[in-house]
This record gives sequence, structure tokens and C-alpha cells, in this order.
Amino acid sequence: MDKELEHQFITNLEKHQNIAHKICRIYTNDQDSHNDLFQEITIQLWKAYPKFRGEAKFSTWMYRVALNTAITLYRKKKRSIKTQDFDTVHFKIKSEEYNGEVEENLKLMYAAIKELNDIEKALVFLYLEEKNYREISETLGITEVNARVKMNRVKTKLKSIINP
Amino acid sequence: MDELDILKKDWKQQEASLPKLSYNEIYKMLWKKSSSIVKWIFIISILELLFWGVLNILLSDGEFWKRMEIIHLKEFTVGVYVLSYAVTFYFIYRFYQNYKKISSTDDAATLMKNILTTRKTVKYYVGFIIISTALTSLVYAYFTIFHHAATTEVTDPAKYSFSITQWLVLTSAIIFGLAIFLGALWLFYRLLYGILLNRLNKNYKDLKNLEE
Repeated sequence: MDKELEHQFITNLEKHQNIAHKICRIYTNDQDSHNDLFQEITIQLWKAYPKFRGEAKFSTWMYRVALNTAITLYRKKKRSIKTQDFDTVHFKIKSEEYNGEVEENLKLMYAAIKELNDIEKALVFLYLEEKNYREISETLGITEVNARVKMNRVKTKLKSIINP
Repeated sequence: MDELDILKKDWKQQEASLPKLSYNEIYKMLWKKSSSIVKWIFIISILELLFWGVLNILLSDGEFWKRMEIIHLKEFTVGVYVLSYAVTFYFIYRFYQNYKKISSTDDAATLMKNILTTRKTVKYYVGFIIISTALTSLVYAYFTIFHHAATTEVTDPAKYSFSITQWLVLTSAIIFGLAIFLGALWLFYRLLYGILLNRLNKNYKDLKNLEE
């Protein structure tokens, strides 16, 4: 039975691991931290899995636990941040697809996202993942109206960086 | 196209560059130790709740009870012990109740609130310890001073009585020493939990600001 549960869990996580990796990209700045956070997310998901009854989709449930881990449960390890990791490990922008200005704007926006606070990062992440306001409010535990208000503020903040 | 739409489009393309872990790599991760904040809070809280109880037991040997009898505080001390154990058990029970409520499958706000509530239980306990230590220390100091004759052989009473000024100096010294000790203890706790809960408190505030 436990073996069965384990197999089910790993198969699910293997299929949906992108969700966790994307969260790690937003919340960490180097590959080691990325791996640490991914590891903690995996542990938290596994610990909570026996309570996952399949009423929700695995992915929906995973968004919640993984974000909770990144925002609240994970304790950052102290390490010296190697600045060169930032560009090489994260957000590879394919320059051949964009003209120079668009590429520059994307770089600015990704850099700006890194500067946001933990809650704003969660909002941007859920926005980029095309979650609707109902899902966003349920994941974060705030009202839909407030999710909307705050999201607009974050969007304006990001836009103002490229159009000062 | 809006800049944010371009960002959204590019975000999807980022998926191609994400790491891909294999079944076996994930399997290995399941057995690694968690280093979550909840685990740390649990360990530290349990240590705190037990520390004072164990300290009480270690300090109260036969010698201690003899001394209490001399200064007429045996019944008082028994009462203090019963009360403090009752309060400690009550706090352990509350702590456990709150701790059980913490679940990573709750929404972010509820999860943060439950962690902070659990932490608060222990904070109130520490507050209780500090205040009760202050009060009982004063009672002990008072009784020790007033029954000092019982522990010393007095041949010339005049030599052992204090002037008003001496009383004042003695009393202020005791209160001052106690305040320094308890203040330092409080500061230690503030620092410990400041470090541990800084980020959580900030995030909870940021999230709750939305509700205003």
C-alpha cells in the first residue's frame, strides 16, 4: 500500500515538477538554493500527500503546498551569493526571437520580479500561470477584491520599470 | 501586444530550460530531512517548555526544602510548584493543539496565522515564567531577610540590624539584580524569535495589508 502511494506520488510529481521549478526560479538566485528549495517542496508535498484525496487536481494542490513552502516554511540557508549565477542559471531569454528592445524589456522585468517581496512574487507567479482571481484568492487566503487590487499594483509596478 | 503579455508568452518558453528530474532523483529526495521553520519552532518550543520544569526538579533537593522550612515558606513553595506545573501542562496542551492545526495544504494566510499562534502560546508561557519568577523571588527575598535570624547565631542583635538606608540599598539591589536578569532573559527570547520569525511576520503583514 505504502509502495503504491509512493509510486503514485513520484509519478505525479515527476509529471508536474515544472510548477516547483518555476517557483524556485522566482524565489531563489542561484542553483544551490534552487535545489534546496525544490528539495524542501518535495518533502512538504510528500508529507502532505496522505491527506491528498484527489478531490482537487494534483497540480492545483501542488501550487498551494509549493507556494506555502517557498513563502512560509522554507528556511533559507545562509550562503554567499555568486552574482554570476543569476543570469546563467535563471531566465534564459532567446535573443533570436525578439528584437533588441523587447529583449531588453524582458530582462528588466525578470530582474524586477526578483526585487519584489515574497507576496508580490506569489501574485506575479500565479498571474503568469494564468490562474484566475478566484484561484489566486483561495491559494493565498485573501479576498478576490484584494487579490485584484494588489495584482493591479504589481502590474503597474512592473510596467513602470520599462516605461518610466 | 502589451509588455505583460510578452512576459507571459516568454514565461511559457522558459519551461524548455527548466531542470528535469528523473523518477529516481525524486525518490531519493523523499527521505531527506526537512529543514522547515515549523520543525525548528517545534524543537525550540519543546525545549523551552521542558527546560523550566526540569530546572525546578533539579533545584529542589532535600536541602532546598529544609531551607524553605526554616524561612516558613514550605507550604507556599508547594503551592507555587503545583500551580506552575498545572500552568505548564496547560501550555503544553495548548501548544500541541495549535501545532496540530499547522498544515501546508491550507491557504497561505491561514498557514501563517496558525504558525504565529503556535509560537504565541510559547511566548505567553515565557511571559508567565518571567513574571512568576519575579514575584516569587521577591517573596523569597522578603522571607529570607526577615528570618535571617533563624539561620544565624545572633549574639549582639544591634550589630545585625540595618538602618533605613541600608534597607533601601539592599532592597533596590535585589530588585535591580532581578530586573537585569529577567530583562536579559526577555531580550534573549526576543532575539531568538526575531531571527526565526522575522520573514514570517513580514510576509504575514504584507499579505494582511491587502485586507485593509
